[in-house]
Amino acid sequence: MKNHAVSNSATHRRSVLVIGSGPIVIGQAAEFDYAGVQACRALREEGCRVVLVNSNPATIMTDCEVADAVYLEPLTVASLEAIIKRERPDALLPTLGGQTGLNLAVELSESGVLDRYNVELLGTPVKTIKLAEDRAQFKEAMLAIGEPVPASTIVTEIESGVAFAADYGYPLVIRPAYTLGGTGGGVVYSEEELRETLQRGLEASLIHQALVETSLLGWKEIEYEVIRDRADNCIIVCNMENIDPVGVHTGDSIVVAPSQTLSDREYQMLRSASINVIRALNVQGGCNIQFALHTERSEYQIIEVNPRVSRSSALASKATGYPIAKIATKIALGKTLDEIENPVTGVTKAAFEPTIDYVVVKVPRFPFDKFPHADTRLGTQMKSTGEAMALGRTFEAAFVKAVRGLDLGYETLTGTATQKRSDNEIDNILCVPTHERLFAVAEALRRGRSVESIAQASTIDPFWLYKFADLVALEERLRAADNDADRRQAVEFGYGSLGIARLVGKEPAELEPAPSFRMVDTAGAEFPARSRYYYLSRGERDEMQVPEKPAVVVVGSGPIRIGQGIEFDYSCVHAAWALQKAGRAAVIINNNPETVSTDFDISNVLVFEPTGPDEVEAAYRATNAAGVMLAFGGQTSINLARELSRRGVRIIGSDQHSLDMAEDRDKFDLALERLGIARPKGQSATSFDQARTIASELGFPVLVRPSYVLGGRGMEIVYNPGQLASYIETAPPITPGAPLLVDKYLRGLEVEVDAVFDGDDILIPGIFEHIERAGVHSGDSISVYPTQTVSAALEKRIVDVTRAIAAELGTRGLINIQFVVHKGELYIIEANPRASRTVPIISKVTGINLVAAATRVALGEKLRNMEYGTGLIPRMPFVIVKVPVFSFAKMRGVETILSPEMKSTGEVLGIDPTFEGALRKGFIAAGFRFTDEAHRGRLLVSICDEEKEESLDTLRRYAAYGFTLVATDGTHRRLADAGIPSERINKIAQGSPHVLDAITSRSVNLVINNASGQREISDAYRIRRASVDAGIASLTSLDTAQALISALESTSGPPHSLQEYLRDTIAGKTAQGLSQTTIGVIKDVDAHVQVPV
Amino acid sequence: MKPGILLLADGTCFEGEGLGPDASALGEAVFYTGMTGYEEALTDPSYAGHLLTFTYPLIGNYGISGTAAQHKHACVSGAIIKQIARRPSHHESKNDLPSWLIEQGVPALTGVDTRSVTIAIREHGAIHAILAVGEQAIASAEKDLAKSVREATTVGLVASVATQTVETYPGAGPHVIVIDCGVKRAIIRELTRLGARLTVMPYDTPAQDILDRKPDALLVSPGPGDPTDLPQTIEMLRELLGKLPIYGICLGHQLLALACGARTYKLPYGHRGGNQPVKNLLSGSVLVTAQNHGYAVDGASLPADLEATMVNLNDGTNEGFRHRRLPIETLQFHPEASPGPSDAAAFFSRWLTAIA
Ligand SMILES: Nc1ncnc2c1ncn2[C@@H]1O[C@H](COP(=O)(O)OP(=O)(O)O)[C@@H](O)[C@H]1O
Ligand SMILES: Nc1ncnc2c1ncn2[C@@H]1O[C@H](COP(=O)(O)OP(=O)(O)O)[C@@H](O)[C@H]1O
Ligand SMILES: [Mg+2]
Ligand SMILES: [Mg+2]
Repeated sequence: MKNHAVSNSATHRRSVLVIGSGPIVIGQAAEFDYAGVQACRALREEGCRVVLVNSNPATIMTDCEVADAVYLEPLTVASLEAIIKRERPDALLPTLGGQTGLNLAVELSESGVLDRYNVELLGTPVKTIKLAEDRAQFKEAMLAIGEPVPASTIVTEIESGVAFAADYGYPLVIRPAYTLGGTGGGVVYSEEELRETLQRGLEASLIHQALVETSLLGWKEIEYEVIRDRADNCIIVCNMENIDPVGVHTGDSIVVAPSQTLSDREYQMLRSASINVIRALNVQGGCNIQFALHTERSEYQIIEVNPRVSRSSALASKATGYPIAKIATKIALGKTLDEIENPVTGVTKAAFEPTIDYVVVKVPRFPFDKFPHADTRLGTQMKSTGEAMALGRTFEAAFVKAVRGLDLGYETLTGTATQKRSDNEIDNILCVPTHERLFAVAEALRRGRSVESIAQASTIDPFWLYKFADLVALEERLRAADNDADRRQAVEFGYGSLGIARLVGKEPAELEPAPSFRMVDTAGAEFPARSRYYYLSRGERDEMQVPEKPAVVVVGSGPIRIGQGIEFDYSCVHAAWALQKAGRAAVIINNNPETVSTDFDISNVLVFEPTGPDEVEAAYRATNAAGVMLAFGGQTSINLARELSRRGVRIIGSDQHSLDMAEDRDKFDLALERLGIARPKGQSATSFDQARTIASELGFPVLVRPSYVLGGRGMEIVYNPGQLASYIETAPPITPGAPLLVDKYLRGLEVEVDAVFDGDDILIPGIFEHIERAGVHSGDSISVYPTQTVSAALEKRIVDVTRAIAAELGTRGLINIQFVVHKGELYIIEANPRASRTVPIISKVTGINLVAAATRVALGEKLRNMEYGTGLIPRMPFVIVKVPVFSFAKMRGVETILSPEMKSTGEVLGIDPTFEGALRKGFIAAGFRFTDEAHRGRLLVSICDEEKEESLDTLRRYAAYGFTLVATDGTHRRLADAGIPSERINKIAQGSPHVLDAITSRSVNLVINNASGQREISDAYRIRRASVDAGIASLTSLDTAQALISALESTSGPPHSLQEYLRDTIAGKTAQGLSQTTIGVIKDVDAHVQVPV
Repeated sequence: MKPGILLLADGTCFEGEGLGPDASALGEAVFYTGMTGYEEALTDPSYAGHLLTFTYPLIGNYGISGTAAQHKHACVSGAIIKQIARRPSHHESKNDLPSWLIEQGVPALTGVDTRSVTIAIREHGAIHAILAVGEQAIASAEKDLAKSVREATTVGLVASVATQTVETYPGAGPHVIVIDCGVKRAIIRELTRLGARLTVMPYDTPAQDILDRKPDALLVSPGPGDPTDLPQTIEMLRELLGKLPIYGICLGHQLLALACGARTYKLPYGHRGGNQPVKNLLSGSVLVTAQNHGYAVDGASLPADLEATMVNLNDGTNEGFRHRRLPIETLQFHPEASPGPSDAAAFFSRWLTAIA
């Protein structure tokens, strides 16, 4: 490839296209927002114009501040080509958008688009990308340079896999080519398993190819993060050791940096091998290499190479302070490591290897608290949604803090729910790991099982087990008798006041030894650093440099989980930026290594710690902060309010009293009553009988949920006493301490607002309307701005009610409210006194930075003195549609039907002058393939009785569009009565060929199935599950089905950047008088105005 | 738990847990930034006379193998560690670190805030210190340190670790004489692995004895202390200049510089670790190197005949030179690694090829 020197860009401002990674899914999360933001900033530092494409509106990279032209457009070749045609970028940087970005770059290159528009590919060449991805070619290349790889064969059909097994025996590992997070792969122990897994794997592979490989189960899994520049200089940023040996995906493993059980010879052997590999592959930028290291022979095998930034590189960056994405970007522009400054020391160069004087532990966050019926076994396919990381001066401290940071209520290793398991169950978990293994190890140790025996069962290295054993013993000693020495030890080892209170049975007055903040400086203190990146240790020298400006602490949102995702990171980062603009020093405390907020470049002080009360208080006191802001970190940070207030920590923004009124059901109900605002009737039940009585008084359907049960079953709509009984059967026991909440279920349109209130004025940038009726969680429904079916009168009512609630609650800053419109009446579902999922979206598309407004309000400014306006802001002359994205393929055994319980992991945005166009783009961005072949195919429909009538119009449209409808008896007959042609197909009980056969053989390509049933055993469930597993789009709500056909029937406009949308709008708006800001005034702009192209 | 302290000459005191019998150790307090390689470091002759602080907090995790040792015994005067591993886990481990340190008679201080020790050394510069284990040693530490500071000298460090006899290693390749100022086993292993025939000779061997053995080349080894403490060796090298190819590593590099007329000086707090970036001025490439030195060659003092070939990217110090006419080449860092990265391993084969 050509390597333009950076200086060439002096004459012409080079324009670089960056592809993001799209929606958050399991295996591809916030780490690419972190990498992408760093890349964009680095590109602009080097004088480039940045064109960014990403369909994910919750990201920080899609902010107008981050790139010169932001395209919130689908990540498809067609969409990219249209953008390239408009923008004519000089170059494309492909290695920062995860596997999605990489795959797209390869497709763009191979389809000739890059050549056609003369776009240079920066950094690692396509050839390398393909080589690393194609398992067969990769192995050949490794053998050619003398690097060992496990014996394997590449198969494109099942029989050759079976033949390989005949030679090598079992277990074998199946690894499909070109997939994310190991989709479709796995370890197989028998021919039957081999056939099943291989079929799934081949289907998941982009090129219908999979590798069948001999097993390395039980070897140590070690990763190296390597950087290479065009001058062939190579450095290792960091290595990492997985506590879970090979066999558990690194994304699901507990990972420690640096490695702890490798001798220097082993460390250097793998380091040299890494450099050998990265050279042979001609990587220019960052690269991740995974090794298996034999525990008895110091012999190694290469598992995989990722020639791009990754989850591991984000982890390595945060673990060491070395910004891999930034450096990789500069390398892609042609710089060499010895020319790039080390941003941490400011004096040395990027050409060095970080050395650290602390231990880093990452613990994965699994979604199984939400999905207790899912298959929780861990394997070669990733299942976690996020991770918590911690730094400590000892392994123990880092580990305990990481586990506490999961926000799952774990404050100790023992005394968890695992304690109830039998010896047999514990033994099973040790051998066949699940998300619970860590606690099973602790419980086994507590029961007196020896380290040797646990090591044998789990293949976990005794080094770690001894550490766990020490921790378990410490906990047991404290439980037996509270004493000073052990308490101090526990504090040094990262336990918090809550954990210690649980162990000794009383709240400790103060944690001793005192907190001491240590600096992350990449150099083990060898050089003075100007880093502002700290972690907490105990009883050592405190290195915190108190910021010169008055500090404010922003509490982050912790690990990514379903329901609390990257959108809160967006809010925290913007809060930090707003604080800085307001002349304050922003202190961020967070423990998620994937995020932008934990990039030390974002804040004035970064405290990398779990967001527990001890740590937040310590950060607040150490920085002499004026206050703590809780509204941006999601529900978990809001939950800190009470304890922090108790400790005398000043909360700024909505105060503890205000938060409490929104959070406490009774207080909130009283407030609504005072205001005369309706909410669905409901009551809490402390017994089954009471629940039944309440339900029959309210009248079915009702919505039930356990109150405050961590890891408990979620919310459900129940239609009759039978369903209520079966819900209660599987729910956690109802007690006076943990009542069941029973609400009247109100069917109707769901609308949602985000607002900022300052005590006098309210700012509402817009109102969202959901496509799916209430009953589908707001995070899982398609939502639209501006509203399409809401009358002006209703909008006015929404604004008035929002204002009234904010005023009554004493809100100072953000509030998010969800409503249901039932029979023309407005009911309030809930009010969240904090940022929300929709905040980044509405902020981006209206140009009104809600977080900045809220931050300034919290600091005492008034909205009327800001530039955003007040009241309901006039609607934008274009439409956006947010479409949720699910990771069901990776969550085996999980029911996929949309319900009040949130299930999606991410979201995309469609943006277009028309509603249908935006809808269409939204569906495409969410992964629906709108080709004739895929979508004028066969549609399998199965509609529940209650909705059969209502479904006819929609289904008629599918038929008219060209779909062949396939239906089981009931639906088939109803369709025939309505004159809609369909083919009849057997139900499962009617025998083959039946619906499941049609799905697995892929003779249908779209499924609409909204029948809810006795969950995991019903036909409906099996149909939905089979569709997901076969990669067939399956819709579970008629509303979604209707939206999809509307999208199919329409066309969408060409891509425009967000800047263009906003520029055109602002120009148009000023003409119409943007100054109209009286509360409650709604401008009736036609939602279908065309944006001039 | 036995008390222990590290007392620096400026009065700064760090408390921890003492390991081993009651004793005290005196020396220059330095820090090593490598995250692995404690066995190699503790047995590296260049650490003779030093109280070695490990910046990495967990030391001893993979035990003591014996085969990683660079010398027949531990060379450091004392070790300062945050958390020492009592139950190591590694298939090569023959002993745990605490037991081994006790066997070797190396007093150690554990449970110390080693990062603060490191910062103190960095801010003060290399500093004399005493490590005291047990009440009695602690009581007299201040007095003992004051006395030792008055009498402090680096003279004799090389003699304490270098061979006094001639040792030979067979090989089919070129004959190399290694001048032992405190050579590491890894250097011997690397050269013999490449086929060289080695004769290891004491650092004070007269030039004629060397010439009498008709070697193909001379390699001056690393070792502890100040190069100007070895006038005899410098003189010997001066006599040999131009008579045979000479290579130098670390102390050997400094001695050769002195023999050629350059100057050396003491670094503020030395380079000790495995992550020092060095730029090869001839090729432009960057090597990540293993280092262990408190003194350096003043790059500005290199006479016209010497050409700097290597420079440290962190602080710009000289990391190697070559003679413009004669086959003389030196490296300040350790191509034999052990501990540390082996980016520079190719130098050995290059040198052997050059003289073959
Ligand atoms: N040959 C093997 N035997 C056993 N486990 C393996 C083998 N190869 C890979 N694995 C496990 O599967 C995980 C995923 O494999 P990897 O190649 O890294 O795929 P991905 O692209 O999903 O990261 C690894 O982290 C490792 O634990
Ligand atoms: N009484 C109700 N009637 C109809 N739908 C409801 C009702 N209560 C909740 N929902 C639905 O359930 C979803 C989740 O409920 P919500 O109270 O907002 O919980 P969360 O705190 O998880 O957001 C809502 O988005 C809405 O669609
Ligand atoms: Mg992998
Ligand atoms: Mg909600």
